[in-house]
Amino acid sequence: MLLTTPGRLRKRGIVGMNMRNVVYIGQNNKRKFYPRVDDKLQTKILAEEAGIAVPRLIGVARFQSHTKKLKEFLAREQAFVVKPAKGSGGKGILVITGRDGENYLKPSGEKVNDQGIRRHVSNILSGLFSLGGKPDVAMIEELVNFSEVFDGFSFEGVPDIRIIVYKGYPVMAMTRLSTKESDGKANLHQGAVGVGIDIGKGHALNAVQHGRPLEVHPDTGRNLKELKVPDWPIFLELAARSYEITELGYLGADIVLDKEKGPLILELNARPGLAIQVANNHGLITRVEQVEEELQKCRRNPAERVAFSMQNFAV
Amino acid sequence: MKNKVQLTLLIVILAALGIGITIYKVQVLGFSFNPDSEIEIWTVESRIDFKSDGGPVKISLNLPDNSYGLTVTESLHQASGYEYGVIKQENGVRRAVWSSKKKKKGPHHIYYRATIYRHQSAQKKKPGKPSLAPLSQPFEGPYLEAADHLLKTTQDPKKGPVENSVALINALNAPEKSDAVTLLLEMPRETGDSLSLARDLLLKSKIPSRLAKGLILSKKNNKSKLAKYIEIFDGEKWQLINPKTAAVENPDTFLLWQRHNESLVKIEGGSNAKVRFSSLKSKILANHAAIKGGQHKQSWLVNFSIYSLPISSQNTFRLLLLIPFGALIVVILRNLVGIQTSGTFMPILIALSFLQTTLLVGLTLFLIVVCVGLMLRSLLSHLNLLLVPRISAILVFVIVIYLAISVIGYKMGSEIGLNVTFFPMIIISWSIERMCVLWEEEGGKDVLIQGGGSLFTASVIYLFMQNSYIGNMTYAFPELLLVLLAIILMIGTYSGYRLSELRRFEPMGQEEEKQ
Repeated sequence: MLLTTPGRLRKRGIVGMNMRNVVYIGQNNKRKFYPRVDDKLQTKILAEEAGIAVPRLIGVARFQSHTKKLKEFLAREQAFVVKPAKGSGGKGILVITGRDGENYLKPSGEKVNDQGIRRHVSNILSGLFSLGGKPDVAMIEELVNFSEVFDGFSFEGVPDIRIIVYKGYPVMAMTRLSTKESDGKANLHQGAVGVGIDIGKGHALNAVQHGRPLEVHPDTGRNLKELKVPDWPIFLELAARSYEITELGYLGADIVLDKEKGPLILELNARPGLAIQVANNHGLITRVEQVEEELQKCRRNPAERVAFSMQNFAV
Repeated sequence: MKNKVQLTLLIVILAALGIGITIYKVQVLGFSFNPDSEIEIWTVESRIDFKSDGGPVKISLNLPDNSYGLTVTESLHQASGYEYGVIKQENGVRRAVWSSKKKKKGPHHIYYRATIYRHQSAQKKKPGKPSLAPLSQPFEGPYLEAADHLLKTTQDPKKGPVENSVALINALNAPEKSDAVTLLLEMPRETGDSLSLARDLLLKSKIPSRLAKGLILSKKNNKSKLAKYIEIFDGEKWQLINPKTAAVENPDTFLLWQRHNESLVKIEGGSNAKVRFSSLKSKILANHAAIKGGQHKQSWLVNFSIYSLPISSQNTFRLLLLIPFGALIVVILRNLVGIQTSGTFMPILIALSFLQTTLLVGLTLFLIVVCVGLMLRSLLSHLNLLLVPRISAILVFVIVIYLAISVIGYKMGSEIGLNVTFFPMIIISWSIERMCVLWEEEGGKDVLIQGGGSLFTASVIYLFMQNSYIGNMTYAFPELLLVLLAIILMIGTYSGYRLSELRRFEPMGQEEEKQ
């Protein structure tokens, strides 16, 4: 079959692009709150104020004059990440994993000198990586010390967990695993593997690549069913609490797992995509309706909302 | 919910307004959806000959009226040294007046020419039943007896008014006249002639009737005079009867010139005024005639519209009015079908260029420019340029490519390459930049999808834009923009699936069946 029918999709509660834009985003996400997630610096400040776990902010370079003080400022930092606050598509992120005397080391082992760091920050400030070329600020944050539980599930890099939060309730979760085909990128339509994660227990539900189900990772050969997210309730609570700081009704939270600090919110997204439905083999509409029904009854705090989601959205 | 009601209301109002005006223009003003539809028009010329007394002269001519679905679209006159004006008298009669302070003694002439057409659907509405007018002269004594006798012999209450009228006129025209007819014709009349007598007789037998003078345009009219007719009301509409032959004429092409007992031409300061008529049939485009007719009628829909602009601006708007149509196609293809395009309205601008270059040439040139541009742009990638200098550099590349294509093509003896300048270079530069960024971020496959989608959309828009029916529709009926807007608003709130999503989520629909 080449095409399915709208009736079948509706029966399964699949949300289409138009519905996401008109109903979910249009009615729940106010324009004025967008900067809270589009500007990662704002997100981080809001999260830190609310006591939500994020990678620690070391500093911000706002002006070209700041670049001169970088060497001094970074003198005691071993590993850190420099990124643009309004970057798009992961561009302009510089990861430093260690030191070699005066030089900095990239994950590949390549050396970067002080001059290189300065040029990178300067490029960020002049808007080289931001959308539309607008001037930006450079954030320097602590490098996440990734937990090893996901080793072997991804071809390169470490997967993060994407949780869709509807009006404060986590409704669906997935993780994206890069493959050789996706060139190490966690982009589903470039061939990364999407794995749906059970909201109830945090284990893998089913995996898809190019929209077709699969059992094992095409490059590492690891059985994807074995994937299980530890500290799952903490993940959910982080996601649920991001609703309070952003006030966005339809939200995607990207969460990573630090070896010592546990789950950390890496970034938030006001326009999360719809591929999560394919990875979960489940539509969003039914869950959103359940949340709406619950909201008719009472307002709840994040912990109660997580409990509701874990109970109702377990598969 | 309140928003929804407001929006629905807005959509309904917009659509109703647009469709309503369109129907009005088709039905009443005679506009046509078919750009090639032609209608017959007649040019009627009247020539007034008169002799001047040598002093000031004032001549007035009774003007033809819009009647029976004939519309006077244009009138012009040829008379040098006269002041010209049109006056409307209390009884509704319009007269053209020429006046001159001084005219040489002797013969002069004036031309008055009117262009007239008939629209198919004109004046379908039925006239109300008219009241019986009073007789011009009452029948008395023996004449009353004769009239009663004549009516008794010719009128049959079982037959309709038309047949009865024809019978009466036949009796009056009969070569061997009956005594009653002879007597009636001899009756001394204060005003009018035997035609008035016929009308009085008809009125007496309770058939509403009136006299009319005019031209039947479908007949040959050369140097002719206005013909006299009797109009009778048959209960539904007025019928035209030729009093000489008693034949019922087709009123469709009857140009009414005089109805009241108004003189055709009046002259002060001169004598011997005579009017002669001639008419010529030709064909013009229906919409052209409708515009002319609307202007003549002072219809505000035509008067305050594109057609009141100078021709060069009209041509600009002819093109501009196509753009919203292109936007509608983009909306449909993006939001209902789910085709990805690079840049929302880039396909419209490309389609506009295709209008100049034609489709195949346009596609080829576009592909060459974009491919070469992408190659040159990839050289810039490593240089880490800022956005504005980067776009500017691409713009320079694009101009160089235009120049190269034009020169190389021209040297090879083909002028096709010169068409490349029709492409909007700023848009092309941005497209190249966006495609290149897309290539780096998402890979070449996405560039092909978006580039292909853009070209497909542009081609569809082009095919619609160069269709003469669409062009005519947007130009002759600009009010359809309101309907277009209503459709766009409607799609704006459409939250159903896109066609492409039926493919994207196809595996999920399938599993439903298995379960």
